[in-house]
Amino acid sequence: MEAPALIGDYDVPTARSLRERGPRQEIRWGRFLLIAVALAFVAAFLLLPLLVVFTQAFAKGAGAYLAAVSDPTAWAAIKLTLMVAAIAVPMNLVFGVVAAWTITKFQFRGKSALITLIDLPFAVSPVIAGLTFILLFGARGWFGVYLQAHDVRVVFAVPGIVLATLFVTFPFVARELIPVMQAQGKDDEETALSLGANGWQVFWHVTLPNIRWGLLYGVLLCNARAMGEFGAVSVVSGHIRGLTNTMPLHVEILYNEYNYAAAFAVASLLALLALLTLAGKSLMEWRQPELKHGTRRKGARTGK
Amino acid sequence: MSITLRGVSKQFGAFAAVDDIDLDIPSGALLALLGPSGCGKTTLLRIIAGLETPERGQVFIDGRDATLWPIRDRKVGFVFQNYALFRHMSVFENVAFGLKVKARRERPAAADIRKKVQSLLDLVQLEWAGDRYPSQLSGGQKQRVALARALAVDPEVLLLDEPFGALDAQVRHELRRWLRRLHTELKFTSIFVTHDQQEAIEVADTIVVLNRGRIEQTGVPGEVYDLPQSAYVHRFLGQVNELRVQWRDGRAHLGPIDITGDPALNSYGSERIALIRPHEIDIGGEAAGWPAVVRDVRVIGPIVRLELCADGRPANEPLEAEVSRERFDAERFHIGQKVGVRFRRWQVYPADPAEHAFGATRVAEPVAVANGLVAPRTASGTSGG
Repeated sequence: MEAPALIGDYDVPTARSLRERGPRQEIRWGRFLLIAVALAFVAAFLLLPLLVVFTQAFAKGAGAYLAAVSDPTAWAAIKLTLMVAAIAVPMNLVFGVVAAWTITKFQFRGKSALITLIDLPFAVSPVIAGLTFILLFGARGWFGVYLQAHDVRVVFAVPGIVLATLFVTFPFVARELIPVMQAQGKDDEETALSLGANGWQVFWHVTLPNIRWGLLYGVLLCNARAMGEFGAVSVVSGHIRGLTNTMPLHVEILYNEYNYAAAFAVASLLALLALLTLAGKSLMEWRQPELKHGTRRKGARTGK
Repeated sequence: MSITLRGVSKQFGAFAAVDDIDLDIPSGALLALLGPSGCGKTTLLRIIAGLETPERGQVFIDGRDATLWPIRDRKVGFVFQNYALFRHMSVFENVAFGLKVKARRERPAAADIRKKVQSLLDLVQLEWAGDRYPSQLSGGQKQRVALARALAVDPEVLLLDEPFGALDAQVRHELRRWLRRLHTELKFTSIFVTHDQQEAIEVADTIVVLNRGRIEQTGVPGEVYDLPQSAYVHRFLGQVNELRVQWRDGRAHLGPIDITGDPALNSYGSERIALIRPHEIDIGGEAAGWPAVVRDVRVIGPIVRLELCADGRPANEPLEAEVSRERFDAERFHIGQKVGVRFRRWQVYPADPAEHAFGATRVAEPVAVANGLVAPRTASGTSGG
């Protein structure tokens, strides 16, 4: 048993070689199986629906597609969606950076509570998030009477939609930045301080360049969600065509009216925006390996 | 710039990182804060820098209470253990940073900045590296960039946290000598943190040995090495052999060697230990001393380290002795050889470290030399590492 004899090119398996080969063989099969499952899942649940969206959108021809997209109410929904994203994303960019900075650079009581709170929008159903805004700002809500007296419309108007979107997309930037900033520690910032930089200079010249890729990634995710949010926005929007309908809401209305081609046409636009976001993210990831070392500018390749 | 600490304490939760420290650092000193990890040396350095605020006590800079001054106002250069170079900036931009962030009216003209940075890069022998990025430099080069960057703002104190910790031995040795030269040339006050006693002895003028947030001993390197005031310091600065003092018939012994006359024996309770450095052990003929067998011989360049299994000692606690290469070559010690061990010098401490409230533990001339085995202890003994 111990003496290995040659059969073809292979050693006769001894107890030892079997021990060594067995698990490896299993790992190879396991790997194959896992990859197959993952690919099948992606194909069935991501690619297929995407394909359906685009084929349905063009089911009645390009003319119908263009008509659906250029419809004034569709156009209003597109503009509203872009506007909401344009407000919510920069605000969450600032909030996210401030929150991540606070959490990673300072020691204070209640820090873990703050981290948990940042995750709250992920944990709470968007519909419930929307409802809380109704309870706060609706006609019979806490601030409803005050708002009505001053003629400010929040719920069933654009401010409500912005608020709901802000709430739902709040964690993205902070969540992306916290691990990055934790990993980097405070040494760079403390060095900059010791060299005489003030707080703003430290942030602008040292912290921001260190976190910019994490930040951009967080902003992209935040943007994708801001444009695609349905639940929370649906509750506070009131579905007023041409006024408070965002793209996802508009798609739903068209769909409920059995106007499939138009619904899918607008949906395809939304999907296109999402794809663009993802492409941007991939582009960044593809460029990031060289950027990680900070050797981006000239001289980056001269030394290697 | 002189620095004075008075009763400085800093807690992290229940852990006293720095505990009631008084320290006077005169202008121009080159001082090492030495201790194992967790002894509070880095925290103390950060308190001096203004990166931490002490809970109690005061920090004086040139006699003025600077306890609450922010780091920007302290005129300190701080060099981190991992260098903390700005990765997205070239070496030149890194060094220029401190000059470029100055307020407009203090900021030198661009040409002056360029000139100053270039001269600093010359100083650290990296004149060729201005356009490089930190990721393209070796550890030693990064360290020198970090030093040049700290020096750019003309600090009066240079604070270095484990400055050579992450470097390989050769580079470390070179940089130590270079730092010493730089210090003599530029005449600023330097304080560095290290856990490496060799480094502290080689570089510093003054060594402060820390233990659990307190100062164990302060002194010039030779003094701290030769006249440790506690077993802790003795153990930390170099190798030691540890022997329990045994009492037989009212006389104190290390193995068979009678040390009854040692005055240090009287100042403690009954449980005492003696610490002996490897080079304080003398090896002679079998008849002359504590009988032992050579168990291992290691030639380490100019010195030779011998492991000696002494009679009555557990086999896993050999005595470690060091002899010069010349001596070794003359005597040809070999494994299995029977020899006699003598102690040229030893120091007695209480076995219980809590019991070291004493003052008179400086080396005293040995009184009794029993059996002629023990050579007199010398106060200034052999130094070095």
